[in-house]
Amino acid sequence: MRQRSGRYFFLIMIPALVLLALFIYYPIIEGTLIGFQRYTLFDMSNTPFIGFDNFRAIFSDINFSFAQILLNTLVWVAVSLLFQFVLGFVLALLMQKPFRGRGIYSSLVFYPWALSGFAIGLVWAWIFNGQFGLANDVLLRLGLASSPIGFLSDPRYAMISVIIANIWYGIPFFAIMLLAALQSVPSQLMEAGKIDGAGPVRRLFSITIPYIKPTIVSTLLLRTMWIMNFPDIIYAMTGGGPANSTNILAMQMINKILKFYDYGQGSAFGIVIMVLLFTYAVVFLRLTSDKEETV
Amino acid sequence: MSKRIIVMLIALTLLFSVGVSANTITLNVLEVMTSPERTALLWDLIAKYEELNPHININLISPPYEQSDQKATLMLNTNQALDVVEIRDYTVKQFVNNKKLTDLTPYFNEWAGADTLSPVAMASATIVDETPYLVPQAIFIKALYVRTDILAEHGITKMPETMEELVEISAAITDPAKNQFGFAWRGRGATMKFSDLFAAVYVKDLADAEYIYSEDEKFFLDPGFKEGMELYVKLYKEGTPPDGVNWGFNEQINGFVSGTTPFLIQDPDAIPLIDSLLGPDKYEVIPLPVGPHGFTVIDYGFTGMGIPSYSNHKEEAWDFIQWISSVEQNGYFNEHWGPLPVHSTTFELNEHFQGRHYEAYSYEMANPDVFLLKTYPLASEKWPGWGMIHETDMQSLLLNRMDLDTMLQKWDKYWTK
Repeated sequence: MRQRSGRYFFLIMIPALVLLALFIYYPIIEGTLIGFQRYTLFDMSNTPFIGFDNFRAIFSDINFSFAQILLNTLVWVAVSLLFQFVLGFVLALLMQKPFRGRGIYSSLVFYPWALSGFAIGLVWAWIFNGQFGLANDVLLRLGLASSPIGFLSDPRYAMISVIIANIWYGIPFFAIMLLAALQSVPSQLMEAGKIDGAGPVRRLFSITIPYIKPTIVSTLLLRTMWIMNFPDIIYAMTGGGPANSTNILAMQMINKILKFYDYGQGSAFGIVIMVLLFTYAVVFLRLTSDKEETV
Repeated sequence: MSKRIIVMLIALTLLFSVGVSANTITLNVLEVMTSPERTALLWDLIAKYEELNPHININLISPPYEQSDQKATLMLNTNQALDVVEIRDYTVKQFVNNKKLTDLTPYFNEWAGADTLSPVAMASATIVDETPYLVPQAIFIKALYVRTDILAEHGITKMPETMEELVEISAAITDPAKNQFGFAWRGRGATMKFSDLFAAVYVKDLADAEYIYSEDEKFFLDPGFKEGMELYVKLYKEGTPPDGVNWGFNEQINGFVSGTTPFLIQDPDAIPLIDSLLGPDKYEVIPLPVGPHGFTVIDYGFTGMGIPSYSNHKEEAWDFIQWISSVEQNGYFNEHWGPLPVHSTTFELNEHFQGRHYEAYSYEMANPDVFLLKTYPLASEKWPGWGMIHETDMQSLLLNRMDLDTMLQKWDKYWTK
């Protein structure tokens, strides 16, 4: 009986596997191959294999320093993720207790997650506009700034500005996922904690967080990947500028394809991203599962 | 009940499709400069054409503007059903390289409309290998837009005739405390089309050059080019909001309409937009200022229609193209879209293009000795990446992260074979 159901499950999975192979694995293989070809829109009839030339070209590009793009990517991912997670967690904790209008409130809070990244970028680009923007208007009226700040035109502020937009966008995801996990924490455990004299902070760190740890680990891992592959906001707000200061790997991949018409170098960037994320996932999972054993 | 309806629907669809395929030919038309208004305009023209030609059914494909050139390239390279394709200055060479366009010479020879094409339209049609691969639909050249009302408030009534005067007036009226600046800077997207205007007019030898620069002939190390660039940097430092570094088309228009930056250099398709935001009475369009050698450089852009080399309906496709490219339809199309029409006669026949905002453009085209029509080496493999490099370097220059000499050396090296 068990064997039969195993075979049955395999059978019903075939369509999904075929679809995955067709729309995920095949494009990945094809895209990886392009990374080793001279492949430009300019001359698509001639696409020879050129070994690692595309990688050499992107690593030694004098116009778009790879080191800077990598550093930008790191800042973009780490800062966005940290604040999205912390603020999303706080929001989930606040919304855990029932209060009047919670339904409306939570749907309002989750709203950003339903928007397209590009549209969000356009809105924030106007908020942070250095001449007519809302942010400048508020700062000037409050007397916090004496002249308009070039949020997106000054390299000192550009990265912070795009990250703020990204944080705003990403909080709801953590809030939704963590709220769902929080609701699964058995109330008996909390009661027991209370009886043993644990305060709210102690209960949070000793009961809640360990209990929802699997959700935390998987959402952090997922979000790292998504943020790294999410240049939409940057694309709409700065295009990677000014002077490369907000250029991340995924942004440069898109620029290579849309602006340079160079699919080969674009794919090379894609491969670099894939390798980095794969390495990250392995290390991250190993670290987090080790901890679990010691707990 | 619902089953019956479905069966009936299927039967109807089958019947309909049989009926359609027996009598009519479907032409697939791909546009690339997509905008909601323009797409509606095209449907409007298509409806007219279909009424005149009942056996033709036109299927207009309108990909979003940001990815439309890629879509066109992909469709052509994979031989997808397409009979008319919109081609731009940026894509024409690439399509020809990939052998995806029909040589329209035989059609051009028979076409009466070819005789009234303006010189710049003719140059656009034959830009690759001096062979007509497309019939131009719209021409883009630049002119100077001026908020005369704002300038009058500052007591300025004389319009700038030289680049230097433009910079001086911009600097004179600039007062950051009052949020008043002079010039609507372009810091993102096609930035070279603005900086090169200033640099090129200072290069005397450029008068005889084919391109503004190319791998064969370039002027980055010419003292004149540097002088022009210095003037352009001065314009940024003294007459432009610092935020201009990040300004694209929308911000430029916003700066102009709000009056923050009363000078704007733009193509004629800005006219309908500014008219709707500001009204037609608060601004003037004047010819581009000239440089110290008495000329100014106008780079022209265009969009047109061509026939994919593998189309099965070339005759029908040509019939549609020659109809939509007629003086009347092309005039109507550009009147409502904004760019310049392709026939010289349209400027005499269509009242709209006699309006005062178009005078500057007619004047520029009528005086090719002063307004030198130059293009970029769009056929060069170095061209596609140049926009991003230029934009990033200009930002570095204006943010004091790179000096002018280093930048010009770098550009010279980039454009060396």
